[in-house]
Amino acid sequence: MSVHPGFMKPSRVAAAACVIAGMLAARDADAGIKLITLPPRERVEIQLDHPNVTLVEEERVVPLNAGVNEVVFAWANTQIDKESIQFRPLSDPENVRVLSVSYPPNENALTWQVASPKAGSARVRISYLIGQLDKSFAYEATAANDEKSLTLRQYVLLHNRANETFGDAGMWPGFGERFERPIGINETKQLLSAKFENVPVRKVYTADLSEFGYLDEGKKQLRVPMHYLLKNDSANALGKFPFMYGKARVYQDDGRGTTAFLGEDWLKFTPRDDEVRLYLGVAKDVVVKRTIARRDQNRVLGNLYHYDVVVKYEIENFKDAPVVLDIAESMQSLRREILGRDTGRNVEFELVKDTPMAEMLDKEKSTADRLLFHVPLPARGGDQKAVKATQELHVLIKNEW
Amino acid sequence: MITRTFALTLTAMIAAPVVAQRNVDLSTVPPRDTVQLTIYNSEDLTLVREIRTVTFRQGVNPLQFSWANTLIDSTSVQLRFKTRADQLELLDTTFPHDKPQQLTWNVRSGMDGDASVEITYFTSGLSWAADYVCVSDPAEGKMSFDGFVRIYNNSGEDYENAQVRLVVGTINLVEKIADLARRGVISEQDRNQMERGGGVLRAPARARAELQDAVTAGFAAAESAAPKEIVKEGLSEYFIYTIEGTETIRNTWSKRMRLFTGTDAPFDVRYRYRPEEYGAQLVRLFILRNDEASGLGGTPLPDGVVRLFKDNNRDGLSLLAQQTIKYVPVGQEIELNLGPDPEVIHEWVLLRSFRDNLWFSRSGVNVRYSPTQGHKIEVNDQVIGWDEHQVWTDRIRNYRDKPINVEFRRSFDGDIVFRSPLNPALHDYRTVQFNATIAPGEKKDLQYRVTTKSGYNQKEQHVVLEAGE
Repeated sequence: MSVHPGFMKPSRVAAAACVIAGMLAARDADAGIKLITLPPRERVEIQLDHPNVTLVEEERVVPLNAGVNEVVFAWANTQIDKESIQFRPLSDPENVRVLSVSYPPNENALTWQVASPKAGSARVRISYLIGQLDKSFAYEATAANDEKSLTLRQYVLLHNRANETFGDAGMWPGFGERFERPIGINETKQLLSAKFENVPVRKVYTADLSEFGYLDEGKKQLRVPMHYLLKNDSANALGKFPFMYGKARVYQDDGRGTTAFLGEDWLKFTPRDDEVRLYLGVAKDVVVKRTIARRDQNRVLGNLYHYDVVVKYEIENFKDAPVVLDIAESMQSLRREILGRDTGRNVEFELVKDTPMAEMLDKEKSTADRLLFHVPLPARGGDQKAVKATQELHVLIKNEW
Repeated sequence: MITRTFALTLTAMIAAPVVAQRNVDLSTVPPRDTVQLTIYNSEDLTLVREIRTVTFRQGVNPLQFSWANTLIDSTSVQLRFKTRADQLELLDTTFPHDKPQQLTWNVRSGMDGDASVEITYFTSGLSWAADYVCVSDPAEGKMSFDGFVRIYNNSGEDYENAQVRLVVGTINLVEKIADLARRGVISEQDRNQMERGGGVLRAPARARAELQDAVTAGFAAAESAAPKEIVKEGLSEYFIYTIEGTETIRNTWSKRMRLFTGTDAPFDVRYRYRPEEYGAQLVRLFILRNDEASGLGGTPLPDGVVRLFKDNNRDGLSLLAQQTIKYVPVGQEIELNLGPDPEVIHEWVLLRSFRDNLWFSRSGVNVRYSPTQGHKIEVNDQVIGWDEHQVWTDRIRNYRDKPINVEFRRSFDGDIVFRSPLNPALHDYRTVQFNATIAPGEKKDLQYRVTTKSGYNQKEQHVVLEAGE
């Protein structure tokens, strides 16, 4: 029997995707005696910039004979999207051409018919979408002891459940630095993708009944969560790129050379110029009791009424430092509370500017439904007693029936 | 090595005319000289046209045609004489009751000698699909646009050395070919065998040898070192792609070939908010045209998956989108939807809401009253009509380093006045369209007031445009 340099199906070892090349001298794919070459990967790039899918590009040097060659690409136990596989000759792409691709039945393999004008090695790039090789993001924030600034680290976590080893693969998460690291089967590789130092942080205490509810409904005491607030812009040492969704763990320098864990939250997708809000827990030292101090129903015409409403906030800051309390009111919720029903119409209202609180309105962040106020609170006194401050929100809810 | 033998045999009976059942026959098997496949993609339908050379004797010649384990519609099988037609006549066609995948033709010949016959029939199980690979340049101004076709053979038959034609277009069939092929024709046993992929019929030795010769010839043809030309031409409402030379497509295999290459096709980047088309989100689109100016336009683009990549300027590609496109005629736009862009932020914010133009009804009186008309309103009068005003903004922030074009369509129910300085237009009676350009780094409010005439005030179901702040 004559020996034909040909090609064969690769043995199905663990997982690896492999490329087999040879001259098409005999069509007989099932011949008993074969001569094959197994070109290794020369370069691998894992493109992680798409939000949902991972693209792998690998380069191999394939020996080609003059004429038509068959190049077999086969894989096992990996989730390569067979439809997505592309083959591009990098050496002499004008003359080294793919004639056709054949897909055998029930096999994770395909065969490119590649024409080459001359014998020699050709560098080719094979790209494909792969499942079970994905990424996530994680953040670590270490606040200074005074909680005025923090260091924010962003990590990319590459999870390789694709059953394939990639040695020294280039990786790019879509922004920032490109990495080159090996990653083995079932490994998760955590890479520091960005570090931001001296990021100003603001501790925000929020009283918002419609969003956070009561801590003690009988006493009308609101739940007051504390958030770390960072602004994703260059003035605040950030703003290089939008932050992707991921878990953020927050630590604080405890002043003794170590750090204490403050809590964790999901960092939501944050475009540039938007604020990152990390919820760290309920602030029980800031006590806010909310009551409706006035509800006057004034007839305008027929069954048409205006409602004159005053919401009263009694606030005590038991902290030994001054803080700023954010008070928010949803007008839809307030009207439901006042009327005892939902009308299905938008709320028409007017902020009555006869209280100091009206001057604390954040015009930029307030909308036609939600009013936001920033209320400064002094620290507790030297006698350890908190100063009880009262703020009143005066609104006119108009044209209701 | 051929793993399957052909399932079609044409038997020229040397003996006298066929009589009922016989247990001992001597037959010859004229091989296929050529075979042509015309594969439709809108239906599971392929027209097979094969030419065979048959030796006739003067008198009546029985020809037996059988197709075990394939998906041929027996009602579609036709015989024509390509040569010596003036001396050959088809007398009758018999479908034997006990051999469902077989028929017999009786041909009267006025001569002794060879003639070329054409047999045509419909089969199911062969199909094809298009797909496209596009690569944008890093600047997002031009892209390569390559089209491919992939042919799938699950027909139960190896088609060796076949001329392949692919039909684009929607053809009308009143019955499915696969149903016709299966209807009482294939036994349960055969069907099971087909599903296991194990159906192999043995052909006479000579036929097998000839077939293998044909295969060898087919692969010699396939060794041409240039990619095959695919000829594209229109036919009635359809378009036919004819693949140069011949192809061998084995049963259960598929094969992909390049249909066309497009280079440097210019495209526009646009952002659109059109909930009915793209969902309630501002999406990024690459829009190009299937025309000669784009280096395309040689053919309509059949339905298929598009994979859009971008040269990421680091000697690699990034995947931008993977989507299906519908048939694109020559000259029409091709829309590639990249989804929302994390560098272009869109917010829809209600800035203000108020009511006016109130109308009241009075119990027992069929008259409406309006304070703005100077009417006196009594204490028991009820509001029955009003104008609801909402001031909205579509707020866009552009963090890209190029200006972007955004196109909005917003639909409203009811009697609406849409007041805006945005120079809006009506897309339809209830949908407003407006466009804007956002400079790099710019945050822009596209502001408008929507007045809904409510209750008694509602007279129409439409949107009226009004200029103004």
